[in-house]
Amino acid sequence: MGSAGSYGVGTGNSGAYMTEIAEPIRFDEEIRSLIQARFDAPPVSGGSFTALLGLSANQAVGLLHEPGAGEVSASAAASSPTGLGHPLGWSPTFPSNAGLAERAASFPVFAAADSPASSSGGGPSPQLKAEPSDSDSSPPLPVPIDKPRRPAKRKDCEKQKAKGPAKKLKTAEEHTEDDQLPYVHVRARRGQATDSHSLAERARREKINARMKLLQELVPGCSKITGTALVLDEIINHVQSLQRQVEFLSMRLAAVTPRIDFGGLDSFLMAECGPLAASNGRGEVALDPVSWSSDPAPGTGQRTDLRPSQQSSTAWVYPYGLINHGTSLFGYGAANSVPLNSNQSKTDL
Amino acid sequence: MIMIMISTDASAPAKRRTKPSPPENKWRTGARERAYRSRLLEALRAAGERRASGPRAVKEAADSALALTARGQSRWSRAVLLRRRSRLLVRAGGRIRRRKRPRRRPVGPTPGTGQPEEGKKVRDRLRALGRLVPGCENLSTASLLEEAADYVAALEMQVKAMRTLADDLSAAAASGNGRRAEG
Repeated sequence: MGSAGSYGVGTGNSGAYMTEIAEPIRFDEEIRSLIQARFDAPPVSGGSFTALLGLSANQAVGLLHEPGAGEVSASAAASSPTGLGHPLGWSPTFPSNAGLAERAASFPVFAAADSPASSSGGGPSPQLKAEPSDSDSSPPLPVPIDKPRRPAKRKDCEKQKAKGPAKKLKTAEEHTEDDQLPYVHVRARRGQATDSHSLAERARREKINARMKLLQELVPGCSKITGTALVLDEIINHVQSLQRQVEFLSMRLAAVTPRIDFGGLDSFLMAECGPLAASNGRGEVALDPVSWSSDPAPGTGQRTDLRPSQQSSTAWVYPYGLINHGTSLFGYGAANSVPLNSNQSKTDL
Repeated sequence: MIMIMISTDASAPAKRRTKPSPPENKWRTGARERAYRSRLLEALRAAGERRASGPRAVKEAADSALALTARGQSRWSRAVLLRRRSRLLVRAGGRIRRRKRPRRRPVGPTPGTGQPEEGKKVRDRLRALGRLVPGCENLSTASLLEEAADYVAALEMQVKAMRTLADDLSAAAASGNGRRAEG
């Protein structure tokens, strides 16, 4: 099915990228013959494989275009107006490309097309444009470019998976300089392995990174910090300080609460409900304290006589639909009896 | 016994890729703060009624109120409420019927990003974070981060509400007492 690898050596002058351009030609023929029946999807399917990984098309294209814009656009020229047109045209069509990936993986690439491809004086690009333009179904044109690099570097790729997206391009570039290999694997992202395990791992890692970013935005001053450990440090400090603040505030509240004259709470409630009523459009809150203040609370508002004031205050909180009879959730089991009694005593009053 | 209203998390499915809704938005709306304030007030009154005005009781009441306001949507809120409930049951002489969660992964949090050698630091910190957030000790990294975000937002709201409440109360108490003295 053609010779292997010699083509690259022959014409490789303008970087290794040009050498790769010819390979997809041969591969493309094989691919085309196989997938003709199944994939009449347009060039978009080539890019949708990257969509499989949870990348947005833009990101994928960005990654694709970074190292070698020329090759990608050249190869994909037939499939879409420009290489930059990809993000718009790509749509995720997963299942077909998963199958394609598997099938593609089983085909060795031989950088054969040498004679028709390399001999042209104008360089491979016109050839490339000519060949794919024969038929529309040349989906994985961007895909095969990196393939020969893939298998030997898979171990490195998997090791470097942890290194985050910034390094992907570098590793891809490094790899492309090396010798070619006859095996083909479908590319997911440049410099990344493509088996299902690593895909799942990558998705999981991206999920984690997204949540880390959320946390970073939440905690003040974390956006400037780089490095997971330091950010986590900041977050932990922040949580601890918040918890400490809650403790201090609860101490303050505990100091204030016994001093609350429940009878004299009408003024307090006015102050309390003022801001509440303002933000609460329903006005339910505002009504109850008014009725409450008209109650004979002042008459009974001594500290010893908590019950009637208790019941009117619970009446105040009724509008919020609280579980006033189910305060076992609060852990105050004794409070269960309070509203019941209060309802009765309210009628008495 | 009142059952806690537990609504399933929107992000329950395991295969979810990204976190769609930022948690802090829910906590920053005024509605939650108002709900929390009323709950806190009620709890405070109940505590005052029962003469349980120690700062610790107040803090527990505040935390329970906060967990209630979360409406059972987050793991930490459920853990807080369960904790209170089991303690109450014990106090009443009952059994603790706590659903023992199977320990999924003792070393659950893995770094993900960063060098493997420093992954240990990250892992330690993640575990420390898990211990800080109630009910999130041996949780996966993704869920832990999610719970932590929700918890931080809730804590901020709690601090804000408690602070204003304390200010109002002390102001009202001062003025109320003053008026009482006059009247």
